[in-house]
Amino acid sequence: MNEGKNDRRFSEDELETLACVLDHVVPPSDDGRLPGAGKVGVAAVVDEALHRMPEVRGMVAQGLSALDALARRRSSRAFATLPRDQQAELLNELAASEDAFPPILLLHVYNGYYQQGPVLEALGLEPRPPHPLGYEVEANDLRMLERVRRRGRLYRDC
Amino acid sequence: MSTEPVDVLIVGAGASGAALAWSLAETRMSILCLEQGGWMDPAGYPGMKGHGEASQLGEFAFSPNARGRREDYPVNDGGSPIAVSMFNAVGGSTILYAAHFPRFHPSDFRVKSLDGVADDWPIDYRRLEPYYDVNARMMGVSGLAGDPAYPPKEVPLPPVALGKLGETLAGGFDRLGWHWWPSDSAITTLEYEGRAPCINAGTCLSGCAQGAKASTDITYWPPAIRQGVKLETHCRVREITVDENGMADGVVYYDAQGVERRQMAHVVVLACNGIGTPRLLLNSRSKHFPDGLANRSGLVGKNLMFHPYAMVTGIFAEPLEGYKGPTGCCIWSHEFYETDLARGFVRGYSFEMLRGFGPVSTALWGMGWGRIPSGVDHHRAYAELFDRTAGIAAICEDLPEAGNCVTLDGDLTDADGIPAPKITYRLSENSEKMLEHSVARATEVLEAAGAREVLVQSPLPFAGWHLMGTARMGADPERSVVNEWGRCHDVKNLFIVDGSIFVTAAAVNPTNTIQALALYIADTMKKNLANLFD
Repeated sequence: MNEGKNDRRFSEDELETLACVLDHVVPPSDDGRLPGAGKVGVAAVVDEALHRMPEVRGMVAQGLSALDALARRRSSRAFATLPRDQQAELLNELAASEDAFPPILLLHVYNGYYQQGPVLEALGLEPRPPHPLGYEVEANDLRMLERVRRRGRLYRDC
Repeated sequence: MSTEPVDVLIVGAGASGAALAWSLAETRMSILCLEQGGWMDPAGYPGMKGHGEASQLGEFAFSPNARGRREDYPVNDGGSPIAVSMFNAVGGSTILYAAHFPRFHPSDFRVKSLDGVADDWPIDYRRLEPYYDVNARMMGVSGLAGDPAYPPKEVPLPPVALGKLGETLAGGFDRLGWHWWPSDSAITTLEYEGRAPCINAGTCLSGCAQGAKASTDITYWPPAIRQGVKLETHCRVREITVDENGMADGVVYYDAQGVERRQMAHVVVLACNGIGTPRLLLNSRSKHFPDGLANRSGLVGKNLMFHPYAMVTGIFAEPLEGYKGPTGCCIWSHEFYETDLARGFVRGYSFEMLRGFGPVSTALWGMGWGRIPSGVDHHRAYAELFDRTAGIAAICEDLPEAGNCVTLDGDLTDADGIPAPKITYRLSENSEKMLEHSVARATEVLEAAGAREVLVQSPLPFAGWHLMGTARMGADPERSVVNEWGRCHDVKNLFIVDGSIFVTAAAVNPTNTIQALALYIADTMKKNLANLFD
């Protein structure tokens, strides 16, 4: 397979723009505990996921290109260099256009964001996969079943 | 591959094929199982890499149509309100199931006699009881003896921990005075027969890397293989062939390299689930069986039963630690199991209480409900849901209807050109009423348990993971496909052991009963070896 242009991965510029976008999709929390999705590296996760979905990747790349074109027309600057409030305005404009990002992008952003270590820690989880350590679940006092036992047979015997 | 005929050829290495293979192994007959999937590597399960719940959208998705692996075949289920779920591998759908492991009730075998609908099974609970016990030991079932919803039964291991979530939901049942009990689960809670205990990782539905969840690749297959059963993977059977007398004489299959091969056998056993088995029979036409093998009754593929599910999720104000613990195994309720016509429907349903969502699932589930927006409101909305949800799944008994069926699709095929199955299915009025009732009762429980809001999905569209009825068991060859011990009426050396042979569906997960039946059929075969084809 000829991948000489490496057109199934985002370029450095596209990744930079995407990271800015993702910081608006999932912004830093007001109290600062949770990072923005761009800041915590979700652009790379999205890039990896969309590597196997060239059609979606193309739509996202189109959106990133349109965003940058809008930014340069309005301010002669790249999107990534604009102040946050101006970025937000352009993102709203893009969302109403034919170059809007496909809805499935959000699924991949959430999937990537909620696996990042700093995010898990902020949620009170250990920043590790569930395996191989698992979790402790306290046992319960099953004497609470006494009421149910006293009801007697519930099934039809036949 | 030997060209010699084997004594027993099993098609499918899932729940039932594995149990039958293990049971027959002691006969020292030459036994070969052909499985279209492969061995799973637990180190590759998503839970080892992260909170990979979104893998259920990809290679560990419930639907073969979503996965599209080489091992999968497509299913045309677009005409059904319930989409089919299954997994093809050594272990079959036990790789992805939740291991919720109830038995049938005694009344589930007497539906016609007791409630005037459907049919009675030609066997009863007492006949299967010793095989349920064997299966409990082999799979390593955990639970608590004394459940008044069942006759006394053996449970080898203590129940999974209920945790804060389980106790919260139990409180709801207690306030209403309704039945609940710790679930029987095919999950080891202590070290057992060389298997490690559950570590509450909550990754059951994408494979258990711990080996605590009982899939048959780690329970029945290892001892079966040690006793000489042969298992060949990535071998997809296209059809069963018959000799000049109309007896099964083997199969045609595609091997791991895609080369067409022939394996002869004296006995053929189908263990391909309630979709795969009728598909294979319908694809096996000959002059003896122009309408599909063993189909003189016309019932192969008919009477497809799912379990219509309602999913009712409560949102609570306090954390429940629900991302810890086996996903689908906590407590159950059989309060509304047995028929009470005053409810407005016949037969009943069970409740299976579900743990909460992990961090990724919370986001995706909330997104699906439109509850977790992107942007400035994201974190506030997420915090209201993460670790604040608990679910009640209502499992409704589906009654058999001839119009609900599996046929062959006229266009769709798998990667080897074998016609795919097509599902025709509709929910009955009885099912609709039952779902409605179950949603109302589940809502009551969640509110009694303290939920501040309840979200309902009914019927659950992706819940076609219980596949039953499509080669039903019975004494009358005109009204059934197999006899009381799984032998096809029309082909006396052809047996079926998967959920296809169910006469009725009960209101509980079928795997335990599927395996008990497979063990019973194997035992009966062993007792009748001298006159197996009479």
